[in-house]
Amino acid sequence: MARLIRTEKEVEGRYEEVWLVVEEDSLDQWPAGPREIVGRDAVRLDGRERATGQAVYTADLVKPGMLHTAVLRSPHPRARVASIDLAPALASPGVHAAIGPGDIEQLTGDCTYQGTAVAAVCADTLAHARTALRAIACEFEVLEPLLDPDEAVRRGSLLGQPRERSRGDYERGLAEADVVVEAEFRTQVVLHNSMETHQAVVEWIADGIEVHISTQYIWGIRDAVAQGLGLPPDKVRIVCHYMGGGFGSKNGPDDYTFIAAELAKRTHRPVKCALTRREENTAAGNRNATIQRLTVGARSDGTLTALGGEFVNAVGWDGWSSGTEGPMQMLYACPNVKTTTYGAKLNLPPMKAFRAPGFVEGTFGLEALLDELASKLDLDPLELRRRNHTAEAPEGNEYSGKNLLECYRRAEPHWERRHEVRARSTDTVKRGVGMASQIWYGGGGPPSYAWIRVGSDGRATVVTAMQDIGTGTKTAMAQIAAEELGIPLDHVTVTLGDSDRGPYAAISAGSSTTPSMGPAVRAAAADAREQIEDIAEQRGLKGASVADVVDVLEDSQILGKGARGPNPAGMQVLTFGVQVAEVAVDIETGEVWVERIAAVHDVGRVINPLGASSQIEGGIIQGIGHTLSEERLHDPATGRLLTTTLDAYKLPTIADVPEIVSELVDEPDLHLTNLGSKGLGEPPIIPTAAAIANAIRDATGADVRRLPISREEMLRALREAEARQKEKVGAPAGV
Amino acid sequence: MELRRASSTTIDGLPVHGGTEVVPLLRAGLLHAETLVDIRGVVPRDIAPGRIGGGATLAQLECDPEIPDVLREACRLAASPQLRNMGSLAGNLLQSTRCWYWRLNWPCRLHGGDECFARDGEHREHAIYANDFCASAHPSDVAAALLALDATVRTTTRELPLAELYRLPTEDDRRTTTLEPSEVILEVTFDECDRSVYLKAMERKRWAFPLVGVAAVRRAGETRVALAGAAPIPWLLAEGLDDATPLPRNAYKVDVARALVKRARATIGA
Repeated sequence: MARLIRTEKEVEGRYEEVWLVVEEDSLDQWPAGPREIVGRDAVRLDGRERATGQAVYTADLVKPGMLHTAVLRSPHPRARVASIDLAPALASPGVHAAIGPGDIEQLTGDCTYQGTAVAAVCADTLAHARTALRAIACEFEVLEPLLDPDEAVRRGSLLGQPRERSRGDYERGLAEADVVVEAEFRTQVVLHNSMETHQAVVEWIADGIEVHISTQYIWGIRDAVAQGLGLPPDKVRIVCHYMGGGFGSKNGPDDYTFIAAELAKRTHRPVKCALTRREENTAAGNRNATIQRLTVGARSDGTLTALGGEFVNAVGWDGWSSGTEGPMQMLYACPNVKTTTYGAKLNLPPMKAFRAPGFVEGTFGLEALLDELASKLDLDPLELRRRNHTAEAPEGNEYSGKNLLECYRRAEPHWERRHEVRARSTDTVKRGVGMASQIWYGGGGPPSYAWIRVGSDGRATVVTAMQDIGTGTKTAMAQIAAEELGIPLDHVTVTLGDSDRGPYAAISAGSSTTPSMGPAVRAAAADAREQIEDIAEQRGLKGASVADVVDVLEDSQILGKGARGPNPAGMQVLTFGVQVAEVAVDIETGEVWVERIAAVHDVGRVINPLGASSQIEGGIIQGIGHTLSEERLHDPATGRLLTTTLDAYKLPTIADVPEIVSELVDEPDLHLTNLGSKGLGEPPIIPTAAAIANAIRDATGADVRRLPISREEMLRALREAEARQKEKVGAPAGV
Repeated sequence: MELRRASSTTIDGLPVHGGTEVVPLLRAGLLHAETLVDIRGVVPRDIAPGRIGGGATLAQLECDPEIPDVLREACRLAASPQLRNMGSLAGNLLQSTRCWYWRLNWPCRLHGGDECFARDGEHREHAIYANDFCASAHPSDVAAALLALDATVRTTTRELPLAELYRLPTEDDRRTTTLEPSEVILEVTFDECDRSVYLKAMERKRWAFPLVGVAAVRRAGETRVALAGAAPIPWLLAEGLDDATPLPRNAYKVDVARALVKRARATIGA
């Protein structure tokens, strides 16, 4: 029976209260461990299409008569358009339409960050559109930008109110400490750099609109486009069959969708608006920089007595102040915790969610701080974490499931390698091992729906308007349906990616696709299976295979439907893990390279171990880039961006990728849905930076405090460690 | 824009070989041309001991046992396999700086303006020598290797020491090479050496321009050391690195260079 509930919904660590109609989740979970199909390796159903170029991404899409768009974006972080003349662009060859400030809400002459969209031109070819764009006469009045996050906090230029979170008595906790460690950590701006840039192809058809878009959230785009254009949502069709990466940056329609919509309306043609790589790396979002001023107090046995921090998120002009303090608040049993988080509003391009926003940055600070503490107390870093492990959520709610201690136990053999790794050091190349813990959300939630149809050939099609953003969830859904129906995996097709062809499906963000969609798919398959069992009974074929039961049905179909049930009431659904990194540091040149990372994560039941290992590897590689080489720089005086191309912005190459060993605890979360599965998209990137930084400390004694750990930062930290050592040695005895 | 195939070494237009540098510069609006002239048919690409055609690709050089270590390694550590398959030796010598201000077409001194934005701005990859007027760093690994080899360059009009192919930009003349617009490098020659090595520091393991590249060549008891990524042009090291003039945020490059020079010298028995 449908049930109306008021519940908390979590996405990327942000909670909101919502009304939901949920259906009871009446299925029992499968027993733990691999099943016939679920829990066993499955290659991607659409791997061949993707690898051979048959898969049509939004970037590949060409519609008859389609026009191409070029967008004029402010080159200045803060400026006012003093004058603009579109006439020369309209007179340029091949041009069909041009729009400027005020024509739509998304185009403005009030530029508050570099990349603010000012005007747009569409033409029969992209080259014509670009030529025309250059012909626009636009004069900017350049204004003084606000760029410094601390200055923004001082001036009160903030996004939202400062977030104060406190439990216990922080000051007393500090007073009770035998040792107090303070440190300031800084993390840089990094760019998502999805292979497929942000883009949409928009066409008005009859009284509605069709939008092909590279997106993580078909239904969110549908609502946003409907609202933005004043259309009923059922007149808006959103299509995304294949997606070339999003990492959190493709949750909304952004300016390009509305630009294409307006130009399509004016020209009566389909219009594509695709960001160039430079636009992508300017105006499509980023992981914002942070400043973290952190304090930890502990007794000499390592028991934490106080944790505190001031976190400044350099958000940019828009976005939100993400939960950088989250790991400090949530990871350990510390009774006294006090954090303040500011979201600095700056004349810099808006942040967007980027794979565990806030927690990647906050885990770097917290877990590096904890190792500085371990080093002061001469405690084993893994033992320090064990001593401060908490079985109960420090913020009140119960955990639905937590196997962090089991992660630590499985990490031990990797951790034990540190003696042998250190022994391989030379005079100039020092080796060491570091670890860091991971905590994050990833429980997904309702609503999400799936349909299924089974034909008389015993083959099934899952129909749901979800998106597979490249993670392989399409394959996971097929595995779940095949398992529940008891049919071979290759007898299941999954149809997704089209809001006109299937029911509502959740956003693919916050590690939620599998835990949100999987239970709905299983429920739909179970609905069909029960009907098939009824037929079997009537045919006297109880226990027979699906194919044998349905073979006489000819054109009849068995239709099943399923919905995602509610999350467990009063419980926190979280994911956990640990990573152990082995690094080498050339202490003369400051070069750092990673030689091995072992990752152990606890995300409940694993649907497809092969797909899961890909997620872990991808997260770690992205984490290595974040830790060692990636940084978006801006000119300190003007705020203009300097590293928007892939030669200047250094993603890791395959040569930078170490041996990666991935392991999953694979215990179903007994309180969570009919699957017990959580998401794995984000967890693997969370502890990587801290594990690497801690391995550097193990190797060299140097405290790195800034990402990326460039040669400059590495050599600075080494010099500081050397000076500290000299001071220690040089100190008079008895003092 | 028109593309023409060169029929002789008299070039009327912008010469293009592998295109790995010219095409991005054209697309970024940093180079302009009515006519592109494909010179692949007229520039020699043979490799003989001590003599290399300007059209030889880096990919050819990186695996040729006749090539001295310093040059072979400089080629191997440059760019990516795809780029090395296309990029020519001569083109590599004529690369423009990677200074982001220059690449983004800021009105800097190298573009004829009156300010070096890098000096007061972001300069962590920039020059630690001769950076007074313009702090751009020369990106060519190959040029440093050939400078250490004391190579000679033969062009369509003359022969000159490789060191004289380059000039520091000045108030009156902002160019960094002495090549005339239609002049094309045909060949590079150098004497045999006893031992040589190229060491390179970059921001990731592969496919990055040098933060510092160190080329060292030992020949008849003499050692010649040249640096890539250290000055607006390939830089011949006089003594140690004590005379470097780093900027506030790139002093680390001096430390890196010092360590690599020490290692390079040790490797070749200097």
